[in-house]
Amino acid sequence: MKKILALVLTLSMIFALAICGTGTASAADDQTVLTMWCIATESDANRPAYEKAIAAFEEAHPDIKIEWEAFENESYKTKIKAAMNAGTDLPDIFFTWSGAFLGDFVDAGRVYCVNDAYKPFADQLPEVMLSNSTYGGDHYAIPLTYNIVTLFANMDLLGEVGWDHVPETYEDLTACCDALVEKGIVPFGCAGKETWCVTEYLEPIIQKTIGYEALNDIFSGNGTWNDPAIATAVDTLQEMISKGYFDPNGMALGNDEVKANFIAGKTAFYQNGSWNCGEVNDGVANAAVGLFPVMDAEKATYGQVIGGPSDSLAVTASSPNAELAAQAAFELGKEICHYGYLAGSGLPAWTPDYDTSEVKPLVADVANIVAASDGMTLFGDTAMSADPANTYLDYVALVYGSEINGTDFVEGLTNDLG
Amino acid sequence: MHKQYSNKWQILVFLLPALILFCGILIAPIGASLYYSFFDWNGIGAKTFIGLSNYKELFHSNAIGFMKALRNSLLLAALSVFLQLPLALAFALTLGKRIKGERFFLSVFFMPVLISTVVIGQLWLKIYNPDYGILNVFLRSIGLDNLAQIWLGNKKTALGAVFVPTLWQYVGYHMLLLYAGVKSVPYELREAAMLDGASDAQINRYIVLPYIKPIIRISVIFAVTGSLKSFDLIYVLTNGGPLHSTEVPSTLMISMLFLRNRFGMGSTIAVLLILLCFGFALLINAIFKEEN
Repeated sequence: MKKILALVLTLSMIFALAICGTGTASAADDQTVLTMWCIATESDANRPAYEKAIAAFEEAHPDIKIEWEAFENESYKTKIKAAMNAGTDLPDIFFTWSGAFLGDFVDAGRVYCVNDAYKPFADQLPEVMLSNSTYGGDHYAIPLTYNIVTLFANMDLLGEVGWDHVPETYEDLTACCDALVEKGIVPFGCAGKETWCVTEYLEPIIQKTIGYEALNDIFSGNGTWNDPAIATAVDTLQEMISKGYFDPNGMALGNDEVKANFIAGKTAFYQNGSWNCGEVNDGVANAAVGLFPVMDAEKATYGQVIGGPSDSLAVTASSPNAELAAQAAFELGKEICHYGYLAGSGLPAWTPDYDTSEVKPLVADVANIVAASDGMTLFGDTAMSADPANTYLDYVALVYGSEINGTDFVEGLTNDLG
Repeated sequence: MHKQYSNKWQILVFLLPALILFCGILIAPIGASLYYSFFDWNGIGAKTFIGLSNYKELFHSNAIGFMKALRNSLLLAALSVFLQLPLALAFALTLGKRIKGERFFLSVFFMPVLISTVVIGQLWLKIYNPDYGILNVFLRSIGLDNLAQIWLGNKKTALGAVFVPTLWQYVGYHMLLLYAGVKSVPYELREAAMLDGASDAQINRYIVLPYIKPIIRISVIFAVTGSLKSFDLIYVLTNGGPLHSTEVPSTLMISMLFLRNRFGMGSTIAVLLILLCFGFALLINAIFKEEN
């Protein structure tokens, strides 16, 4: 009996191993296989866009097989860095964030230059969309969708205190928040557990105080943090916190929980990336979008936004089919952008050549905001390289925790980053 | 048999697979970490040799906060030794007396060890949730509203809130180790003591505890080194926050390696962690040896 049991167990283990070895459909002999890593996991809003884009690509190119794997966002950062570090077992195509994240890989010579592959697509993909992944004048990645920091508002809750539009001046915003607080409605939710969420509040305030060009200079290392106006901007955020505009529980919550609170009608506003448009559109019956208002009209305008093209596909320099992979990455990027835009998970970096009448209303509203935009600053933690970005995030966390004020923030960052 | 033992080559051949694995998986990475700790390196580009600068910066930089992380780990180690282990020992001694439902309680206390740490983390995140968490709901229901807290979001309470599940999770583990020791005490010794009129406390004090001292030593080593290496539950619950108040060396190491791309500094923390674990293991051994 024991022998039979052992045999059954052995066979089942061999069977399980055999199944593990054939995770994806195998390629035909005459097919070229291109491998791809990305972050479009089952729970990712972009998953359907990837699936549709890959299916469409394989149908159009029966001689090419895309074998792709998706990893959770944070673990992917670790995986891709470790693989780039080793320089072996890299895929042909990989998802990346532009700015300094990709810049480190480019500096190490791990990324294939896509200048030539870009030429046939130049009329569909404006060159400005490649600016965040251009190093030394050469293009190294293909943007997918792009995003900006958006002020989402629950108009039903705003209606309860007599507002029928998203406040566009700081005076209006504070008046609206005061009325909400008085009625027992929490105006904002912000995930203190994920500091990048705090930057989604702080960066627009700084930008609307000192202007997008000055903030661009600071993030790119060409400017200085030593500006009293930045201290004023930080103090503005802290004043909002001290007035009870922010959910105090937010300090212990992650972004998903804060977003869920907004969608459930527990907070009136939620300021985060426009990639949330689809979820907010479907989850909040009466939602509207806007931008954080201007703080200093001499230096900033309402249309200045935080964000820009960051999510991209790139090709590894070590790929044996780098040229083919680059062409494939452009075609895939275009289709991922197409389906992602229609699903509401971002704005189109590529010029749409398809029917956009079914684009979700909130996404269309954000697209209109961007169309009227007169200045853009890339997210600080994407624009800066890893070490200074995390020093900056540490100071942002201290601000949200009310451990330091605006002057301390400016002094600290000036000392540490210049 | 004797002939086989005298054949050194034969012994070496049989030991070789395990030796290769041991060196490749344990010794080589330690050596590599030590090597990288002398460099300024972002993990991809060129390395710059900086000697002991990483070690100096680690101990002097307030921005990195290694000393604070180390203090947190040592506090956890102290709580493990002086709170977790006595509790585990009490359970082991109680269950070792052949009480009714011994197997059932053994399984119940050991259950947290079997559950994935991520699951435990998610469970405690729900318990601590400031809105609907059972802890705050309970406090409010008995009229102690003022004690309800944002447990994991307040830097005054976060460290304690993280330590509770960390200690709770491994009480069963140490209990099982000690229980095995308690059960190995010959029953004749207990019987003889009982015939001489010894109470339960006296039997435990003069017979059981001296008998299981080697196991207590192992438990103390595991508790201290485990505390120094603690990572997973803290990562799930707070990831070292808020404001680095629950940072431990392991979370700091991950932050240096994969958030800040400072592979040299991350390796330095790894080397210090290894040294600390070895150091404490030797110290504990020496203390127990002295007592013997």
